[in-house]
Amino acid sequence: MKVSKLWLDKFFDAPLPDAATLADALTFHAFEIDGVEKKGEDEVLDVKVTPNRGHDCLSHRGIAKELSAILKIPLAHDPFATKSDLLPKTSEVSVHIQRTDLCKRYIAGYVKGIKVGASPQWLKDRLEAIGQRSINNVVDATNFVMFNTGQPLHAFDAHKLGSLELGVRLAKDGEVMEALDKKQYTLAGSMLVITAGDKAVGIAGVKGGMPAAIDESTTDIVIESANFDGVSVRKTAAALKLRTDASARFEQGISPELAAYGMSSVAELVQKLAGGEVVGFVDVYPEPAKPQFANVTVEKVNQVLGTSLTGADVADVFVRLGLPYKEQSGVFEVSVPFERLDVVIPEDLAEEVGRIVGYDTIPATPLPLDEARGKPPVNPNFYAAERARDELVAQGYSEVFTSVFAEKGERAVSNKIGGDRPYLRSSLAPGLEDALKKNIPNKDLLGLKEIKLFEIGTVWKGGKEVIMLGTISEIGPRPTSRGLEASEKILEPLDVTSYDDLPLSTTKRFAHFSKYPYIVRDIAMWAAGGADAEAVIRAEAGPLAVKVSLFDRFEKAGKVSLGYRIVFQSFDRTLTEVEVNQIMAKLSAILVDKGFEIR
Amino acid sequence: MAQEPQRGNIHPISSLIREANRVFVGMGFTLVDGPLIESEHYNFDALNVPKDHPARDMQDTFFVKDLPGHVLRTHTSGLQIRYMTEQSKKGVLPPYRVIAPGKVFRNEATDMTHEAEFFQIEGLAVGEDITLAHLKWTLAKFCGEVFKGSAEIRFRPSFFPFTEPSIEFDVRAVGDDVPEKLRGRWIELGGAGMIHPQVLENCGIDSKKYRGWAFGPGLDRIAMLKWGIDDVRLMHSGDLRFVNQF
Repeated sequence: MKVSKLWLDKFFDAPLPDAATLADALTFHAFEIDGVEKKGEDEVLDVKVTPNRGHDCLSHRGIAKELSAILKIPLAHDPFATKSDLLPKTSEVSVHIQRTDLCKRYIAGYVKGIKVGASPQWLKDRLEAIGQRSINNVVDATNFVMFNTGQPLHAFDAHKLGSLELGVRLAKDGEVMEALDKKQYTLAGSMLVITAGDKAVGIAGVKGGMPAAIDESTTDIVIESANFDGVSVRKTAAALKLRTDASARFEQGISPELAAYGMSSVAELVQKLAGGEVVGFVDVYPEPAKPQFANVTVEKVNQVLGTSLTGADVADVFVRLGLPYKEQSGVFEVSVPFERLDVVIPEDLAEEVGRIVGYDTIPATPLPLDEARGKPPVNPNFYAAERARDELVAQGYSEVFTSVFAEKGERAVSNKIGGDRPYLRSSLAPGLEDALKKNIPNKDLLGLKEIKLFEIGTVWKGGKEVIMLGTISEIGPRPTSRGLEASEKILEPLDVTSYDDLPLSTTKRFAHFSKYPYIVRDIAMWAAGGADAEAVIRAEAGPLAVKVSLFDRFEKAGKVSLGYRIVFQSFDRTLTEVEVNQIMAKLSAILVDKGFEIR
Repeated sequence: MAQEPQRGNIHPISSLIREANRVFVGMGFTLVDGPLIESEHYNFDALNVPKDHPARDMQDTFFVKDLPGHVLRTHTSGLQIRYMTEQSKKGVLPPYRVIAPGKVFRNEATDMTHEAEFFQIEGLAVGEDITLAHLKWTLAKFCGEVFKGSAEIRFRPSFFPFTEPSIEFDVRAVGDDVPEKLRGRWIELGGAGMIHPQVLENCGIDSKKYRGWAFGPGLDRIAMLKWGIDDVRLMHSGDLRFVNQF
């Protein structure tokens, strides 16, 4: 979520430290920061709010509360500090909820005599800083309060509604509604809609409807502050491919208590920006949320974290986080604020303590060896794989991994991005055969006489998932009529009591290889006394000679013949025959100079 | 001339798993494995990731056609559930010490740092007195071995439905043999945390008596850092210009 620094400042008596400090504080005590961006006078933090904190932290208030706890700066202006009683009540608007399991609360606020117009600059700036477009003072007010408190809100034009008898019901299968994005949505019977006189005017928790959209002519409005079921909203938004800032908040599950704070904030702001008079509120809240409590002991905190914190340390964290508690003989009973739906079990409180005191205070304590258990058992599949690796490597085979996705197979995945190769392989052979073909042209570059590959991997065949060992080689051991054909067998588990001590890679760094084609030249010569031909070639063939190897050596009449293969390749271009021939000509001349006789 | 028998090479991921197993066997851990097509029960439900919950969006999942309720496993964490459930059913109570390296899948477009199939290593320790402080030490020891130096671990808050508290861990390794680009710098490595009590209960383990931690960094990422590999797609390229360097 995009969070404006100037917006956050309004929760405190004095401006907060700079955005970099805030980013650091959040990173080590609350959330990852995806970036900090300068927007005019403002700085905007992209806060990656975790799914367990979507209840309270998809809002500037939530982030301000976190910063207050982390930086030990009291929250001076908290919209949740005082509870509004939503008065006066009105009977001009009525609300009927058909499914109270999917809509736990619906508050309607009726405001008359407003004047729709442009928003003041401060409001435009705030919304634009977090990537929102300013629309008009009324719509902006609902958006501002949503980004401020986390409560999604919506304003309807009261006249356009046609009826002030509002309802929340499941849509009729095939019911069509035009949403504010001017698109027609065909609804399904599982989707919740808001109705006025039974006509759908909004998709609950997702988007308002065009029929009751606010425009310049609007004078009377009905504001909605409601609580919709997360799963229901999530399914509806997914089915309609209409994910909105409102649906993203409902999906996380938010407290129905929040709706009252959202309504009182927005009613106040609308009047400030657009004038008018609040006629009254209707609050349908059949089963008010019960106060929640969570317990933890200081001992439990230390058992989880491996720390030696005191009761005073724990108390300090709870005070900073605004978690009211009662303490009795080491047990902290926390009265969980309504918005903190994530705090339920003792471990949740241990986490709060850990992250606020800082995970850097957790020591690194050696994990005790459990001598009683003896040596851990050997995994027979892994042992078999390790044994096969070792044997094959000794025979010159190299290990490859190829994709499990294939052109054909018995099993497939149903939703692969891009859609190509959706099958799961039933054999290692096609992958190995492809890999062999790709590697053969690089044989000289690799300095190999023959490409030999193996793979240990999973295939799906005969209705089962099995681990196979596949091998392929260019020449043998038994070339088949088809030539380069892989052979494979099931990797049978091996039961042993201890692992072999097998070698690890000793490579320090991976070296990039060129993607350009290479050119090979052979040069044969009679040796000249004790002179080292290979050293001369390496020194004189230039930087394009990436590989020099002795491929032939024989003695005749007391003379030694040496055959070297030189591989030329560039990192940035395709070499030409002409330039390689020039290098070879120069190299031959130097070798002759040193006394070698070129054959 | 005499033919020197040319040795082949194992894949760098295989070398890394071999090394991890060696380090963890020394600390009393058992290596376990399991199927790549996993039930939603093991991959999600038993790990506290309910259906239709935003937490499922954290991973892009491949669903298996004509096999409802099954996915290509999105992490090795399901192996925690498999192992603990199996043990508790046999009446074998903690302590448990397990590592589970293996292939996992994410349904996303591939690029230099993202692959649809890659490797993870799960680690798990359950007992009566296991703490986050033991996790810090264990990760430091493992990272020190892998990066050839002495390693320090830093935790940052995070969220996974199956751990509470959840953390991300960073490593900073020092020493002459540590790859130069890593030496002395904090590097983000992966997620971990204390196993959520509900997850233990889901496996038939008394969460009042036992606690544990789990971690699950990506092996491809560790390999890329260790050897300076810049393109994850090389791992499944089948290209010996890559493999034969290890």
